[in-house]
Amino acid sequence: MKDHLNDGQLRAALDRELDSDELKHLEACTQCQARQKMLESQIHPTAERLSFLSFPANDTGLSTSAAWKKFNNDRLAQKETNMFRKLFAIPLLKYGVPVVLIFALILAFPGTRALASELLNLFRVQQVAVVPVDFTGMEQLNGAVGSDISQLISDSITMTKKPGDPVTVTGADEASQQAGFDVRVPQNMTPSRISVMSGSSFTLKVDRAKAQALLNEAGRTDLILPDSIDGANVSVTIPSSVSIAFGTCPQPSKDGDGFDTNSNGSPGRRYADCLILAEIPSPSVSAPASLNVAQLAQIGLEFSGMTSEQAAAYTDTVDWTSTLVVPIPKNAASYQQVAVDGVTGTLIERPADDAPQFALLWVKDGIIYAIGGLGSNSQQALEIANSLP
Amino acid sequence: MDESLWHESVPRRMKLSTSKADEAFESIFHEHWSAIHRLLSRMVIDPAEAEDLALETFLRLYKYRPAQHENFNTRAWLYKVATNLALHSIRSFKRRDHYESHAGKDALIESQEDQPSKLFAEKEDRYFVHMALGQMNPRQAELLVLRYSGIPYKEIAAALSLAPTSIGPLLLRAEREFEQCYRTLTQEEEK
Repeated sequence: MKDHLNDGQLRAALDRELDSDELKHLEACTQCQARQKMLESQIHPTAERLSFLSFPANDTGLSTSAAWKKFNNDRLAQKETNMFRKLFAIPLLKYGVPVVLIFALILAFPGTRALASELLNLFRVQQVAVVPVDFTGMEQLNGAVGSDISQLISDSITMTKKPGDPVTVTGADEASQQAGFDVRVPQNMTPSRISVMSGSSFTLKVDRAKAQALLNEAGRTDLILPDSIDGANVSVTIPSSVSIAFGTCPQPSKDGDGFDTNSNGSPGRRYADCLILAEIPSPSVSAPASLNVAQLAQIGLEFSGMTSEQAAAYTDTVDWTSTLVVPIPKNAASYQQVAVDGVTGTLIERPADDAPQFALLWVKDGIIYAIGGLGSNSQQALEIANSLP
Repeated sequence: MDESLWHESVPRRMKLSTSKADEAFESIFHEHWSAIHRLLSRMVIDPAEAEDLALETFLRLYKYRPAQHENFNTRAWLYKVATNLALHSIRSFKRRDHYESHAGKDALIESQEDQPSKLFAEKEDRYFVHMALGQMNPRQAELLVLRYSGIPYKEIAAALSLAPTSIGPLLLRAEREFEQCYRTLTQEEEK
């Protein structure tokens, strides 16, 4: 080889990554050797600074077997959570309603009470119920069927009033004025931010044939949608809501569904001290009297993986005209009833090691309250709830 | 496992039925967990963050099953993803006070070492190294981390979709950029 080695080749030689011909040249060429020494001294400080990356093992972290166990737990929880999110990844979420609320409303269309008028204002939230769902069984939502279902829901919905962006206000009085109801702020605690989201409304018109075709495509030909849903007009009105943040919290967003625990950088630690108290008067739903909500709920629950008997048993326990039904991932969250603010509330906890989450829900005097946070200190949520004036 | 078997054995292990693929994944996890966790522990300082990112790295391997491709190099892929996650974390957490709470002051308080000034200097130096990596062109930073973690040129080239012969020149350029960033940061600190 007549040509001298370039700097890149000389750099590779320092790592013993040169091919044999070039290496022979280097061994014989004093000029290249001198140049290589110069390069070596040039990069020496960097090599020193980065040498810690290849230090021998001195680990005190998780053992491989413990890591494998944790990985599997996390994977199951994340799979469920992802399916949970996918289920609600529908366009109407863009309009600012907490995901669980929307799902509850969709499930909670009023039942068959025989009233004279064609449209009835039936649904008002008076209580909260939880339904654990094994979302891992809903793999069909991962593919084209999932997109088609989202598209069908999107096509079926007409927004009649879109909410604006969240507006930050200075205190409870201004929040009450803008939201149109008496906003309660915990005593002895200073919020880091109070935001008001204006209300919204939409109508939903169901195309039974298309919906049934999608169920069939998802392999659930055993689930038959009732004829009564075809063309049924359902209108939903969601009042203005208020979000009261304590600690370091993510910015409120009308697109958001809370904390994004899938992003990089461990929000579990970034927002570890964040608690958000949300308050919203009960949404109202108007629907034809012919819609049988219990029947629709039964189908929804069976689609999510319950047996026919399990779904029937559950629907029998729920008053669909007054209950906010909150689906939670069966394997990734737990719940319990708790005494809160003078009523019975529901505490939902997702006890993941990396980013545990909790939500406390209750209804009082027609207002739905929810306190959510990252971390495992759900006791603080109860203290906040019980300190409301 | 013999390093020379990597290119052949990993794709073969992953191109199997679902249950077999899960078994293959488990064996890959056991084989690489320590190395990936160690790399991240050095990159992000906070042990809990390192653990999270290591789990996330393997979760991505599990989810996307990139090993279905021919000539897939699992180790290099894992190092690349882990490096990216670490650099992202460094950029997200580059506030000095946050870093110190994790790395500097706390370590000094908790340390049993009898040379606190030496330990402080090391931590201080490590801080600037992390910040310099976070400020660099991400591709250059990736290349540096992979190389100084001991990954051979051939595997780096596969992970970064580069020709093996281009690694030397690119590495030299990355080292110069790193040094420039590092010096700028330390000079700013001295002012």
